[in-house]
Amino acid sequence: MGQLLHHVFEASLEHHASRTAVWGRGRGLLYRELEERSNQLAHLLQTNGVEPGDRVGLYFPKAPESLIAMLGILKAGAAYVPIDPQAPLKRAAYIIQNCGMKGLITTSDRTGVLHAVPGNTLFCVVLDRSDGQSDSFVPWDALNAFSSERPEIFTNDTDLAYILYTSGSTGEPKGVMLTHRNARSFVDWCATTFKIRADDRLSNHAPLHFDLSVFDVYNTLGAGATLCMVDEGTALFPATLSAFMETQGITVWYSVPSALTALLLHGVLETRNLSSLRLVLFAGEVFPIKYLRRLAEVLPQVDLYNLYGPTETNVCTYYPVDRAALGRMDNLPIGRGCETMDVFAVTEDGRNASVGETGELWVRGPTVTPGYWGDPERTRRSVLVDNAHPERTYRTGDIVTPGADGNFAFHGRRDNQIKSRGFRIELGEIEATLVDHPHVREAVVLPIPDDEIGNRLVAVVVTDKPDLTAAQLQQHCALRLPKYMIPGTIGFQERLPKTSTGKVDRTQLMASRGEVTDGVV
Amino acid sequence: MEWSRGPVKANIRQFVMENLALGKVGGIIEDDASLIDNGVIDSLGIFQLVSFLEQSYGIRVRDEEIVLDNFKSINAIEEFLLAKLPRKGD
Repeated sequence: MGQLLHHVFEASLEHHASRTAVWGRGRGLLYRELEERSNQLAHLLQTNGVEPGDRVGLYFPKAPESLIAMLGILKAGAAYVPIDPQAPLKRAAYIIQNCGMKGLITTSDRTGVLHAVPGNTLFCVVLDRSDGQSDSFVPWDALNAFSSERPEIFTNDTDLAYILYTSGSTGEPKGVMLTHRNARSFVDWCATTFKIRADDRLSNHAPLHFDLSVFDVYNTLGAGATLCMVDEGTALFPATLSAFMETQGITVWYSVPSALTALLLHGVLETRNLSSLRLVLFAGEVFPIKYLRRLAEVLPQVDLYNLYGPTETNVCTYYPVDRAALGRMDNLPIGRGCETMDVFAVTEDGRNASVGETGELWVRGPTVTPGYWGDPERTRRSVLVDNAHPERTYRTGDIVTPGADGNFAFHGRRDNQIKSRGFRIELGEIEATLVDHPHVREAVVLPIPDDEIGNRLVAVVVTDKPDLTAAQLQQHCALRLPKYMIPGTIGFQERLPKTSTGKVDRTQLMASRGEVTDGVV
Repeated sequence: MEWSRGPVKANIRQFVMENLALGKVGGIIEDDASLIDNGVIDSLGIFQLVSFLEQSYGIRVRDEEIVLDNFKSINAIEEFLLAKLPRKGD
């Protein structure tokens, strides 16, 4: 059976049953309540036909019920699939269909997604309904009728715990599968490294479909600590967010750097008392060093860590920020490999890069994904299985240089994946969506570097309809892509410059990007 | 210059619809509908909106004013804006 992800929670129950496990939307749940409710949900799922190995989706704004859902699904032996609650219907429907979901936990205003899933046989647990049970809709209150005893289910640690969908270069999102062992290895490493305690109050800033939240949720539950969920209305407003940090007495914070930058620039931090804060972790994108220096000044008592790792590995390198060295640094290193992981750079000719040499970062160890749901071809390309090693190896596609001090320096990507506000975006997915428009012949999307959010998106489009507008194309994208993937500027050109091999010349387009304004290039 | 309700609200609505509400609503946003819960305003949108208000009305929005209460709906934005603008009799 091995060590399962939800065992970290069950181990805490013994000593912390009466402590608050989670706060969110003005409501709290004790450890005991979370145990009872998640057991009830597991029984409800079983009764409705969910079997070990099935997938069950979470499709609602995050709330304390999110934790009941995650744990209940795991206790039923199934894997949970968090869907961005703001995802356009088509994208949510794609995810539901792609992973063959058996059940969905959602809100009544989102059940319409089922009409967009051809031939679906899903049943839905509807959070904001208390009655009106029908064949496929179960109200949340139906939980009350089920036993609050822990169900007996046999789950193996190589079974899937969750699937996280991330942008895919070919036009559809791809499902990164994570097993119990993958997640446990990460959470256990965190417990050793960051020493989270029962009196800690951890923020949960990241959305649940983003793997930063795995740290927040399971390190909290493993320590008997309290998770303080940041809802959408708080996350958007830096001054509200900093007030939340103060009133909640947050001790451990984890987010993308752009959220910290927004707090620094607009969060009126000088008026807040953040003396409880002891640990600030950030990951997901490059933190501009000038803002990190300011953050270090504003939070003199806090330990700062730069964590790095794609969804396929979760965190695989980490760098404790050396405050004394910040002043003379140009770029922040992504650090050295986590103690449980084997992290190395491979040169273009297939050698292990030595100090100062550039190569692609490869990651081997217990947190590496078994692959992408339903996509063995893509899995073969990036997840390597080598008989000489018991662990899988993931080729990250990130270009790095090992330093003399053991820390890796990050230089960028070998493909067209970029980050914007910490979100991982395949430019190819946006381009495929644009070209999907009946009047778009060609499209290229350019990442324009931006200090505050990482990158802004500019699209250059060739159309056969002279009166096609940028707004129409943005609307077309909005029905298919999350908001952070919609190009803020769309320009039109008669043709795209090509390289000698016939590919779109991104370098030339990037050079002329300064001239791109809406509708004109 | 003095301002009155009608044009201010229409202006805010137009900006929100054309710049922030992409694909989020079926062409209509009720005056009191939450702009947050349905994802009309996201973390980039909030600062676009603030810049729009500052540039269109010559006001300065302070960081401590960029909070949920002032931006949760078209009505809330209108109230916030009108309170910052010179009115008849001022």
